[in-house]
Amino acid sequence: MRVAETNAGDLLELDDIKVKLSGLQILDGVTIRVPRGLVTGLIGPNGAGKTTVFNVISGFVKQDSGSVTYEGRKLRHIKSHHLAKMGISRTLQGVGLFASLTALENVMQGGSSRLRSGILSESFAMPWTDVEQERLRVDALAALDRLGIADQAERLPSELPYPIQKRVALARALMPNPKLLLLDEPAGGVSAGDMAELSSLIRSWVPERSVLLVEHHMELVMAVCDLIWVLDAGKVIASGTPDEVRNDPAVLAAYLGEEGAA
Amino acid sequence: MRDLMRLPGARLVLHAAIAIGAWLALTWVNGAVDPLMNYYIALVAMYATAMFGMVILVGLSGQVSLGNGALMAVGGYVFALTTLNWQTIPFTVIPMNGIWAMLFAAVGGVLFGLLIGVLGARLSGPYLAGLTLGIAVGIPAIANRFPELLGGETGLQLTVPYPDGGYAPVVEEVDQQFVEELPTGQDELPTGQDPLASDGSGDLLTSDNFPSGDASVAPDDLLTSDNFPSGDASVAPDDLLTSDNFPSGDASVAPDDLLTSDNFPSATPDASALPLDPGSTDVSGVDVSGVDVGFVLERWQASLAVAVACIVGFLALNLVRGRQGRAWRAVRDDPVAAAVSGISPARSKVSAFVVSSLFAALAGAVFAQILAYVGPGAFGLGLSLSLLVGIVLGGRSSLVGAVIGAVLLVWLPEFVLSLSNDRGWEEQVTNNAPNLIYGLLVVLVVLVAPGGIVGTLQALVGKVVRRARKAG
Amino acid sequence: MTQLIDYLLGGLGSGMIIALMALALVLTWRATRVVNFAQVGQAMFTTFVALTIQTLTGSWLVALVAAIIAGALLGVIVQYLVLRPVRRMDTSGAIIATFGVLIALQAAAGMIWGGDSQAYPQPFGNTALTVFGREWPVSAYDLVVVGFGVVLVVGLTLLFTRTDLGLAMRATAFNPEVARLSGVRVSRTLTIGWALAGIVGAVAGVLVAPTSAISPNSFDILLVFAFTAAVIGGLDSLVGAVSVGIFTGLVLSVVSGYSDSSNAPVVALFLLALNLALKPEGIFGHSKARAV
Repeated sequence: MRVAETNAGDLLELDDIKVKLSGLQILDGVTIRVPRGLVTGLIGPNGAGKTTVFNVISGFVKQDSGSVTYEGRKLRHIKSHHLAKMGISRTLQGVGLFASLTALENVMQGGSSRLRSGILSESFAMPWTDVEQERLRVDALAALDRLGIADQAERLPSELPYPIQKRVALARALMPNPKLLLLDEPAGGVSAGDMAELSSLIRSWVPERSVLLVEHHMELVMAVCDLIWVLDAGKVIASGTPDEVRNDPAVLAAYLGEEGAA
Repeated sequence: MRDLMRLPGARLVLHAAIAIGAWLALTWVNGAVDPLMNYYIALVAMYATAMFGMVILVGLSGQVSLGNGALMAVGGYVFALTTLNWQTIPFTVIPMNGIWAMLFAAVGGVLFGLLIGVLGARLSGPYLAGLTLGIAVGIPAIANRFPELLGGETGLQLTVPYPDGGYAPVVEEVDQQFVEELPTGQDELPTGQDPLASDGSGDLLTSDNFPSGDASVAPDDLLTSDNFPSGDASVAPDDLLTSDNFPSGDASVAPDDLLTSDNFPSATPDASALPLDPGSTDVSGVDVSGVDVGFVLERWQASLAVAVACIVGFLALNLVRGRQGRAWRAVRDDPVAAAVSGISPARSKVSAFVVSSLFAALAGAVFAQILAYVGPGAFGLGLSLSLLVGIVLGGRSSLVGAVIGAVLLVWLPEFVLSLSNDRGWEEQVTNNAPNLIYGLLVVLVVLVAPGGIVGTLQALVGKVVRRARKAG
Repeated sequence: MTQLIDYLLGGLGSGMIIALMALALVLTWRATRVVNFAQVGQAMFTTFVALTIQTLTGSWLVALVAAIIAGALLGVIVQYLVLRPVRRMDTSGAIIATFGVLIALQAAAGMIWGGDSQAYPQPFGNTALTVFGREWPVSAYDLVVVGFGVVLVVGLTLLFTRTDLGLAMRATAFNPEVARLSGVRVSRTLTIGWALAGIVGAVAGVLVAPTSAISPNSFDILLVFAFTAAVIGGLDSLVGAVSVGIFTGLVLSVVSGYSDSSNAPVVALFLLALNLALKPEGIFGHSKARAV
């Protein structure tokens, strides 16, 4: 099994995370490991707390208790804008592109954490700021090219079809050269025909990078993930390889329960 | 061309060329036009300076702030206080002049902007607008709280610091000995200013205030004509010393009078109400005898305002057309996405505040010199609102739009005035017509053309180009 | 101690006026998620209308009714012409549009009625009342102001809690989409919200005018006070707006009494800044002030 191949230790560990938001216990002692060099999936019925897990990792939600360990170090005060520097990139639900920036500029923003020059040298347009920008531009163009959309570089997001926008967002997430990619519903809005392409794209990032993704689209999850964690009502109810999870009675019950309620 | 722009330093060269070109052209214009036109140019340049900051704050960073008028007040008051009280910088004994006072004003603006920015950057739209509205209304009240220091409701009259030597050829005739014999009395000072008791007010006229021993750099602004031994009236810089320029500081020039009934203090330069009477200098600029004395206050004010606007414009160009401008827009468009891209939304917003306060404070210092006065009425809510009007009409995210907006702010009241003179409108109609037009235009622009004049033109050009491309 | 009580009592009238103006801001916020910075402009305009009617008819009550009608109309007009189209746009656009309306209204008032301060006739005695052999810092007029405020607040409360319209308005404020699905005519409800706000603002304007005189800009400071009260009250909460509004009036009265009335704006500003820094959602509210 693919999981067995990992012995490099875990890149990210969440230990007994509890989060209460406006009176609701969203996460109730969630423990998740994200191994190095694998694609890890986080699934669960609606309202299970998947996105909250992402928000805890990226510093948008502060846990009431529990710890997040990244590369063996405990993260105490996670600031979302420091993630990129730490080697963690996140995509957002939908696309989350900057509406007034072109596709290229959007991707360039992804490399913000690499910039060294401050506002003072920007004020005087010092030549080294241009050098930095040019390097960023070339990299961003290359990132777009790798995703096959370099010809769309000068377009605004609103001028691009949704699947292309999704790819721009992916290119932006790749700009900091992340060790860990957090993908929030990468398959959302992607047509069935493009799904295979998306799977192979995600697979192409490992084992250099590690991936944690939240997804509803079971086909994609089963196709790309090495390890899956199943969340229900703020708790991990199962974990394992796609095959193990697929046949886990607790998982079936959770998903059937949701369908029964809906 | 585009590849050329990617060379290191290309932006610097281009932006410097734009700024220097604008400065040269406007300096030439300053020399060629009459004082009234120079006065308008000074106002436009002053508005543009403040509005460059508004473009960054409101346009790029997306924070609707009404505090910039108050930040201009900070700049204006710091400038006035430093020029009035410190002829030399106390801790260095370096002569205080206009430049130093401007720098002090800038520092004051930055500190104040940091304060508002740190508080404001965490707030969303209406909360920030309301808070800054409170600041715009509340800050002038602070002047009233400290009548001794800040002149209270009446404000402070100030002498506009001229450059050493100025333009006045007459000064060359004043020798150094004379400079050292300057009287130390205070009766030449406008009575409106009340320098802090012991804080160097006696130094005002002593020779150590004058930066160098060079006879050609006499402090002509402090001299009355009877200090001139020659008594040569035709070359005396008396334009500086008429009562028009030094209002007595009595109640008749109280801020309420300064503002007339409308709340846009300077957009309607009601000649009789402003302490600086443009009409009088027509006479003093060119002497009765027809001899050009070379020094017209308005020309100096205009060149000062233009120089500051060009420097600030240069900085603004660099920031707007670069990484920082993109970062501001990114945070405005989607703060969450910006954060995960490695930009701190809070820091980005605070930096927009600080930059715009720096610009506002510099504009305020220029404004103080244009009016030769600072007072709570001159920096009221109306000033903040007119800055907002200006950038919305010109184009919220465009520096060119800011300049267009600044021209509109100065031109429209004049245009309405001339219309009203032709048609014989009532005074209260004439006074309020510009604001009515501004208000309606702002609503109209927000509804149908959010990009303002520049944004709409850009969209039109873009459409034409795209159509041409399709056709070709 | 008696002095403090006197100052507190003296702030009751102005507190009620701040409360009403804050209430108007909250009503528009609940209806359309827009803080209507033109609200005091509308109130100023309708108060001038009232002054004109008062001069014509000599009746304070007729003038008040005229102001109420004008206030409702103006609220509907502003909402229909400006805010309805602008809702599709960014928040900056909506905020700027309300300031545009404010500028235009002030200029229009200046054009029609001139820029100078004009006295508004006192309908009732403005002398201190003598009860229990002691002069109190409260006049008959203050009592009228408080009375009107109480009637308006009770009326609005009944409207919101006891009527179908009130239910529809609450549902719309909570979630317009859900309200629409449950058969509420949302756009009509929003317009009624603005009309109500216009009415409350108009009453506040007519009530405050006799104590302060009226000019196109004379209500600017009231906007700051009312905004402060509305935000501290939670911006969503009618109860919050009214109670914090009255409280603000009392605080400002005490501050003015012990120091100087020109300190009032600074104190209000301080309260506002403190609130936004510490508890931006307000004391009574749940709305989100923090951007990030």
